[in-house]
Amino acid sequence: MAGPIAPAQAAGNDQVVIANVGDESGVYSSLDGLGAVVADQMAIDDFGGKVLGKPIKLVHYDHRNDAGLANQETNEAIDRDHATLLVDYTNSATALSGENVAKQKHIVQIVTGGGSDAITNDPKYCNKYTFHYGYDVYALAHGTAATMTKEGGKKWYLITANYAFGQALAKDTVAAVEANGGSVLGNDFVPLGTSDFSSYLLKAQAAKPDVIGLANAGNDTVNAMKQINEFGLKKALKVGVMLLFESDVHALGPDYWAGSTVTIGGYWDLDAKSRAFAERFAKKFHGNMPTWSEFANYSAVLQYLEAVKRAGSADSDAVVKQLVGHKINDAFVHNGYIRPQDNLLIHDMYLAEVLPASQVKQPWAYFKILKTIPGEEAFRPASEVKCHLQ
Amino acid sequence: MLESLGGQIFNGLVSGAFYAMLSLGLAIIFGLLRIVNFAHGTMYMLGAFVAYVGAQSLGLNFWVALIASPIVVAIVGIILERLLLCRLYKLDVLYNLLLTFGITLFIEDAMRLKFGMQGSPYVIPGKLEGVVNLGFMIYPTYRVFVIVASLIVCIATWLLIEKTSLGATLRAATENPGLVRAFGINVPALITGVFGFGCALAAFAGVLAAPVNNVAPLMGDDIIIPTFAVVVIGGMGSILGSIVTGFVVGVVVALGAFFYPPISGTLIYILMAFVLLVKPTGLFGSVEGSR
Amino acid sequence: MRAGGDQVSSGKFDYLGLALLVLGLALPWLLYPVLATNIVVWALFAVGFNLLLGYTGLLSFGHAMFFGGASYITGIVMLHTHLPMPAALLTGVAFSIGLAYLVGVLSIRTQGIYFAMITLAIAQVIYFAVTVFIGWTGGENGLQAVPRGTFFGLPLENDRVMYYAWLVIAVIAVAFVKRVIHSPFGQVLKAIRENEQRARSLGYNVDHYKLMAFILSAAVSGLAGGMLVVHQHFTVMDNVDWQTSGEVVMMTLLGGMGTVYGPIIGAAFYLLLSDRLAVLVNAPGVVIGLIFILTVLLFRRGIVGEIMGRLDARRARGGQEA
Repeated sequence: MAGPIAPAQAAGNDQVVIANVGDESGVYSSLDGLGAVVADQMAIDDFGGKVLGKPIKLVHYDHRNDAGLANQETNEAIDRDHATLLVDYTNSATALSGENVAKQKHIVQIVTGGGSDAITNDPKYCNKYTFHYGYDVYALAHGTAATMTKEGGKKWYLITANYAFGQALAKDTVAAVEANGGSVLGNDFVPLGTSDFSSYLLKAQAAKPDVIGLANAGNDTVNAMKQINEFGLKKALKVGVMLLFESDVHALGPDYWAGSTVTIGGYWDLDAKSRAFAERFAKKFHGNMPTWSEFANYSAVLQYLEAVKRAGSADSDAVVKQLVGHKINDAFVHNGYIRPQDNLLIHDMYLAEVLPASQVKQPWAYFKILKTIPGEEAFRPASEVKCHLQ
Repeated sequence: MLESLGGQIFNGLVSGAFYAMLSLGLAIIFGLLRIVNFAHGTMYMLGAFVAYVGAQSLGLNFWVALIASPIVVAIVGIILERLLLCRLYKLDVLYNLLLTFGITLFIEDAMRLKFGMQGSPYVIPGKLEGVVNLGFMIYPTYRVFVIVASLIVCIATWLLIEKTSLGATLRAATENPGLVRAFGINVPALITGVFGFGCALAAFAGVLAAPVNNVAPLMGDDIIIPTFAVVVIGGMGSILGSIVTGFVVGVVVALGAFFYPPISGTLIYILMAFVLLVKPTGLFGSVEGSR
Repeated sequence: MRAGGDQVSSGKFDYLGLALLVLGLALPWLLYPVLATNIVVWALFAVGFNLLLGYTGLLSFGHAMFFGGASYITGIVMLHTHLPMPAALLTGVAFSIGLAYLVGVLSIRTQGIYFAMITLAIAQVIYFAVTVFIGWTGGENGLQAVPRGTFFGLPLENDRVMYYAWLVIAVIAVAFVKRVIHSPFGQVLKAIRENEQRARSLGYNVDHYKLMAFILSAAVSGLAGGMLVVHQHFTVMDNVDWQTSGEVVMMTLLGGMGTVYGPIIGAAFYLLLSDRLAVLVNAPGVVIGLIFILTVLLFRRGIVGEIMGRLDARRARGGQEA
C-alpha cells in the first residue's frame, strides 16, 4: 500500500535509495543536469558505496522543468523506488512541487538547484524534511549588491526577469543597495525568455548609472550580457550579475563577462580539496569541471549519508535530527551548518569577479575570488526569517 | 528623450527585420503550399548553427556563412519536403502543421543532444564591430547592418515574385495549379523549390541573429510564435503584407517595451486579436486568405 | 479535419467502453497511482478537446487557456475560500465557459489555420495574465500547496482514493460527451465538419453550433484542469503554455481523433511514454517527435481509429461472405 506512510517501509528496505530529480534535457541541463547525477554518484562512491551495511543506489529523473512531471516523479521515487533522499530540483517551481510531496510523505528533500527563498522562508512550504542547500536569492542579492554599492557603485539600474525568482532577486537587491547608501534609478521588469534586451539597455544607458544589475538567470542573463558588450556599455559602467554559473561563462566565453561581479556558493578552483574533487569529476564528465551547483549536489549527498550513519537508520525523522544544526565542512561547504529555524544551509559565500580570457589559466577557471562572505553575513538573519521549524 | 525614442525605433526595426524575413518565408510557403510551416523557427535555428559550426570546424567567416548557410538549410528543407511533407498535400492542411510540429520537436532535441542547451557564442564580424554615429544618435554598427541586409533581401524577394516571369508563374500556380500544369510547368518541382527558398530565408535570418543572440537549440521557439502572429496580422500569404507588418510590429512592440516593459512579450498577441476583430483576413489579406 | 470514423454507433454494445472502464478500475493497482490519476485527468482533457477537433473539425491551438486557466481558478478558490471542493471545480468550469464564450465570439467565424492561430494568440494573453497577477497565481513558482479537500465527505489524501474519485467524475463526463456526440446536436456538428456549406444551405446556424461545441469543449477541458490542481496540490504556468495546447493535440491525434475513446488511449500512451522516457533516455523530444511524425504520416487515424478501421474492414468482408 503506497501512501503517506512510506518511511517505515523504506527504512526496512535492503538498500538505501537516493533519487536525483533534476533537469537533464531542459534549459538548465547545462548547469545542473547529468553532471549533478555524476556528482551524486561520486559522493556515494566516496562514502564507500554502503551505509549501515546496505548498498546505496542512485536513481535519477529528468523533470525538464515541468513541475507536474517533477511532482509525479517525486511520488514515484518515494513509493516505487523507496527513496529516502530527494535531491537537486533545478528551478524553484519544481523544488516547491517536490517540497509539497516531501512534506506530505515525510521524506528528506535537499534542494540544491532552485534559488527561491520561498523554499525555506515561506510558512506555506517550509517543513522539517526540506533543506535548502547552496544558495538563495537573498544571499545572491546581498552579496553582490551590498559590496558593489559600498565600493562606490552608488547608482543602480536593474533589469529584472519578470517572474517570482527575478522579482525576489530585485527586491533583495534594491534593499541591499539602499541600505548601503545607494539608489536605484530604474528597474525594468522584462518578460522571462526575452532575447532582445536592447530597449532596456538603451534606457539604462540614458539613466547613466554606475552599475547595471541583471536580476535574471540562464539564457536571459547570457543574452543580456552579450548585448551589453555589443552596445559597448562596459566601458562606462560595471555589471552586477545576480546569478551566474561556470557553464554560463563557458557558453559565451569569459571575455563577455570579464569584470562583472557575482556571488557564488562555492567554487571548484578554491583550494586543494575542491580541485581534487573537480579533477576526478572532469574525468567522469567529458572533461568539464563541476559548476558550483553540481558541486553542491556532491556535498548534499555526502552529508546526507554521514547523517544516516550517525543516526544508525535511514528513517527520515532520525536523519533530520542528525542534519539539523550539524556543523559541515567538506570540499564544497566551508564553515557551514544547517540552521534549525528554517533548514537553510548557512555557509561561506564568495564574491567573485569574472576573469578575461587572457587571465584564465585553464578552462573553467573563470572566477577570481574577491572576498569570502561569512555565512552569518551572507544569508538572511534568523530574526527576519518567517519560518519557525524549531 | 528624443534620442532615447530614436534608439527604441531602431531597436524595433532590428526585431522587425527578423520578423519580416521569417514571416516572408512563411507567407511564400503558405501562398503556394497552403501549409503553415511550424518548423520555420527550426530552420532559423539551423541557419545559425550552420554558421557556428562552419566557423568552428571549417573556419568559414560570417560573409561566407551568409551565403552558405541558407543553401545548406534549403537542402535540408527540400529533403524534408520531398521525404515527408509532399505525402500530405491531398489532406487537410492541418496535418502538415502537425507534421512540422513533430519535426520541430525532433530536430530541436537532436540539436540539444549534440550541442547542449546553453548554446554557443558567435562573434560579430570584425568590420561590423563597434558603434556608428547616425548624426542624431550612436548605435551598434552590426544592428544597422541587420536592418539594411533584411530590407535588401525582403525587397529583392518581393521584386522576384511580383516583377519577374518566374514570379508570375508562381502566382499563377498559387491560384490555379491545374492551369499551370497544363502549360507544361512542373508544379511539384516548383513547390519543392519554393519550400527550399522559404527555408533559406529563415536560415539567412538565423545567420544574422547569430551574433546578436546566443546560438541555442531553442532560439527558434522564442521567435516562431510571434512570427505566426505577424503573419496573421499582415494577412496569410500576402508577400508585401508580411514585410511591412514585420517592421511595423517590431517598432510597435519596441515602443511598448519602452513605456511598459512587462507587456513587451504579449503586445503582439493583443495587436493580433485587435486586427482580427476589425479585419479578420489581416491587414493585407484577401478574403480568399482566410480559407 | 476528418479522420477515423464513429465506431460506436448508438445501437451496438460498447465493448471498448466496457474494456476501458475495467482497465480504469484496475489502473491504480497496475501503475503508480499518481501517474494513473494524471492519465485520467489528461484523458478527460483530450476527450473535451476532441469534441472540437474530431467532431467539429476546428483545431484550437490554445486549449491550454481553458485547462490551465481553470486549474488556477479552482486552485485559488480552494486556497482562499471555504467552498467545498466540488464547488471549486464548478467555479473553474464556469470560468472556462465564460472565457470560451468571449474567445468564441471573436474567433468562431474564422476557419482552419486562422482559427488555430487566433486561439493560440489569445491563449498567450491568458499566459501573460498569469505572469502579471503574481499575487494570485504565484508566478513562476506556481500556485502551490492547494488542499485536496473532501469529495462528498470522503477524505482524499490517500492517492488511490483520489484516483477513484476522479475516475467517477471522468466516467460521467465522458459518458456526457458521448451522449452529446450521438445526439442530434452532435449529428449537426458532424455535418458541419463534413461540409460546412451544405450544412449552412440546409438552414443550420453554423456559427451558433460551432460556438456551442467550443464552449462545451472548453467546459470539459476546464473540469479536467480543476481536477489536475486538486489532485496535484498545485498548478504551474506550463499548464497555460502553448506547449500544453500542443500536447493535447498530440494525445488526441495519437489515440485517434473523431473517435470517442481514442483521446483516452492517446493520453495514456503519451503519459506512460513520457514517464518512461524521463528515466530511460536523455532524448524525450527525439522520441516523441519521431512518434508524432510517424503517426501523422502512417497512422493518421490514431491507435483506436486504426484498430476500428481494420475491424470494420474485416467485418465488411465477413458480411460479404455470409
